[in-house]
Amino acid sequence: MSDLLEPAETAQVKRQKVPFRGGGFKPRPIRFVAPLVFLALILFWELGSQTGVISNLVLPAPSEAYRAFVELFQSGLLWKHVSTSLYRLVFGWSIGTALGIMVGLLIGLFSLARASLLPLTSAFFPIPKIALLPLFIIWFGIGEGSKVATILFGTFFPTVIATYGGVDNVERGLIRMGQSFGMSWLSIVRKIILPGALPAILSGARISASIAIILLVAAEMIGAEYGIGAYVLMAGSLFATDQLIVGVAMLSVLGLCVSWLIGRAEKALLNWRG
Amino acid sequence: MTVRSILSGVLMGAAVMTGTFATTVSAAEKITVGALRFTSHAANFVAFEKGYFKDAGLDVEFKFFQAAQPMALAIASGDVDFGLTAISGGLISLADKGAIKVIGGALQEEDGVDGQIILASKAAFDAGLKTPADLAGKSFGVTTAGSSFHYMAHKIADKEGFDRKDIKIRPLQKVGAVIGALKSGQIDAWSIVPHIAKGLVASPQVEMIGKVSDYVPNYQVTTVFTSTKNTSDNPELVKTFLDAYSKGAADFNAALVDQSAGDTAAEDMVKLIHKYVYADRPFEKAAPSIRNGAMRLNAQAALNMTSVEDQLNWFKSEKLVPAGVTLDKLVDARFVETF
Amino acid sequence: MQISIENLSHAYGSVEVLSDINLTFEPGEIAVIIGPSGCGKSTLLRLMGGLEEPNQGASYLAGDVPDGCLNPLTYIFQDFALLPWRSVAGNISLVLEDHNLSKSQSEAIIADVLDRTNLSEFHDALPRQLSGGMKQRVAIARALAVRPAFLLMDEPLSALDSQTRELLMDDLVDLWARERFSACYVTHNLSEAVRLGHKVIVLSRRPGKVRGVVDIRMPLEERRERAAELEDVQQKLWQMMREEALAADRELANV
Repeated sequence: MSDLLEPAETAQVKRQKVPFRGGGFKPRPIRFVAPLVFLALILFWELGSQTGVISNLVLPAPSEAYRAFVELFQSGLLWKHVSTSLYRLVFGWSIGTALGIMVGLLIGLFSLARASLLPLTSAFFPIPKIALLPLFIIWFGIGEGSKVATILFGTFFPTVIATYGGVDNVERGLIRMGQSFGMSWLSIVRKIILPGALPAILSGARISASIAIILLVAAEMIGAEYGIGAYVLMAGSLFATDQLIVGVAMLSVLGLCVSWLIGRAEKALLNWRG
Repeated sequence: MTVRSILSGVLMGAAVMTGTFATTVSAAEKITVGALRFTSHAANFVAFEKGYFKDAGLDVEFKFFQAAQPMALAIASGDVDFGLTAISGGLISLADKGAIKVIGGALQEEDGVDGQIILASKAAFDAGLKTPADLAGKSFGVTTAGSSFHYMAHKIADKEGFDRKDIKIRPLQKVGAVIGALKSGQIDAWSIVPHIAKGLVASPQVEMIGKVSDYVPNYQVTTVFTSTKNTSDNPELVKTFLDAYSKGAADFNAALVDQSAGDTAAEDMVKLIHKYVYADRPFEKAAPSIRNGAMRLNAQAALNMTSVEDQLNWFKSEKLVPAGVTLDKLVDARFVETF
Repeated sequence: MQISIENLSHAYGSVEVLSDINLTFEPGEIAVIIGPSGCGKSTLLRLMGGLEEPNQGASYLAGDVPDGCLNPLTYIFQDFALLPWRSVAGNISLVLEDHNLSKSQSEAIIADVLDRTNLSEFHDALPRQLSGGMKQRVAIARALAVRPAFLLMDEPLSALDSQTRELLMDDLVDLWARERFSACYVTHNLSEAVRLGHKVIVLSRRPGKVRGVVDIRMPLEERRERAAELEDVQQKLWQMMREEALAADRELANV
């Protein structure tokens, strides 16, 4: 009450700026930080190796790994390993994804398919494909078959789940609009449901591509002479840790490339999202 | 290489080595011996069961592994003090990094004792793979590149006079996978220790086509090894261990290889080993496998340097190990007789 | 063409939404259906156009489909229902693609409807670049493209702010003045009803029944200037709706 009686005086005494309480909680991208962190880490690592803080037994120096990479490059086998793995990845992933989209659409569109295939998918998805490797060998042989099949099975299930989830999430209002204009069933699927499910399908592809790379090592456990996975496995069994680092780095770069490609695809296909 | 430097490295999060690190080991100390549940590791079991280790003042604790590779790593990290393993690319790499040393011989091929057998799948056999000379152009199962199987395949090629590349090496990671692939005819050939080989030959899908001893004479199949730290800081302990181990090996040879100790001794020996090997099978079933698996253990842990050198050279020629590895880096020959 | 609804009743499970509706919609007129929220007016619109099937009764079309009509009963939705991945022109072309038109034919239709709705400059714009009002104009253009016999408009202005709503009402009045289209217009907004309706049908609360039909004779084009004269009609409609709305408001939601 006294405030009201003597406003001028009180205001003078207590006058202060309203403290700013907003802001924060809004991470924004800062350029060059990622490569700098990466470089600093490698520098620190190399320094540790040179001074002996990090034992060679525990972790080879980046320079050693680089030398192993140069040796691999000079031996001419680099491209052989990479191309062999790429072939398996592309082949297994594209077939797995194509089949996955088809089955996902079936589940998304037909009640009978949903009732029959969805429980199967849920049952098979969590099975580690590595556990099935011995069976894959019997079914598909120790040649390319079992390797492609491992990657195919690994990418199929996440694609199915992403696709039918995408179909389920297409706005019902858009489908009703299509029906109200007398569009045919096929037109509605092609022009409304598929494009509407595309964002989900693409984020599914991002996940399945990573799974494919993870499975590459498993796929190349069996009878593989060439391939990045085979290279990593051989380095592991020879305890050639420098080569191991090279192989793992190649897998990581492969992952980055794939992620970049899918990012491009998203930009091109989903530019309508803005 | 100090324990501290390894420890700091481990803390970097780079390795999967766990457990406590042995402090300076002196005689009458607790030591850890790494073992696989194979008959070829029997000398350790015998020395333990018959008290040879205890008599030598060693308090031995066994640590069992599923494969030789992690055991080699455990010795490099100091978690395990002694172990037996085949000379593999991984072992040589670890020796090159100064982590471990081969200190004696364990299992050796010997004329007159059943040794490793070369096998062919029935399909390949029927198609003409009757002797190891026919292996050119055929596929040969191995666990990993640089494994002893890989070495044997190339020794066959060398002796039969065809190019090493003509044998198609198929890495299948696990012995079980190789057996499956051989039985189903997905690979043409393989070589393996007798107790497994004899079981396979008894099945209709596998045929025997030769003996490894014809191609790798006096093949030093496995060796005794320890950490470099033990050899440099505690040579007495190494010596003590090898002595006790050798007593176990001598008993084993007498009972099952030379069979000079009589039937009861042989039976008792099988029973002793059965406590460790095939323990999940009933004795009647396990006994034949144990008997079949009995190969000569080097007396006094003597080491066939010629064979070791041949193996090392093969690894180098295949560029599976760094070219700079020398025999001295791999073997510490101070402890046993070499030949 | 005329739409007549005969003895139509509908229920979702045990909840009766519409009960014994009998109505006729004449060509060249805008009939507005109003009622409290949840009275089933949108359901009635969907039943009329064949997007849902009634439990009882039916709606009938009488008379010939006009020349060049591709989709006699054409909806305009509250949420516009534009495909976000298609441009303005693409959204209109979507509804023409199933009709075996040549490329030039459909391009001509698109240019024509965009012109009639003053959207020509937005030909290539994506929906996300448009305001709500522009989106609904595109939806109207799309509806016009199939030359409908009847427009079924489901609260077309409810998602828009009041200024935009005014502008669009003017547009619709202009459009009707030029084209004399037939429409059934569902809304809960009384001012829309009196601005656009040649007749206003008031539905009761659930289960929806026809509570009354009010004809408004004043020409649509004059209604903006003579808004005061419409006040009486609006009051009358409000009196009819008030009790229903009050009761509907106090109902416990159990659907």
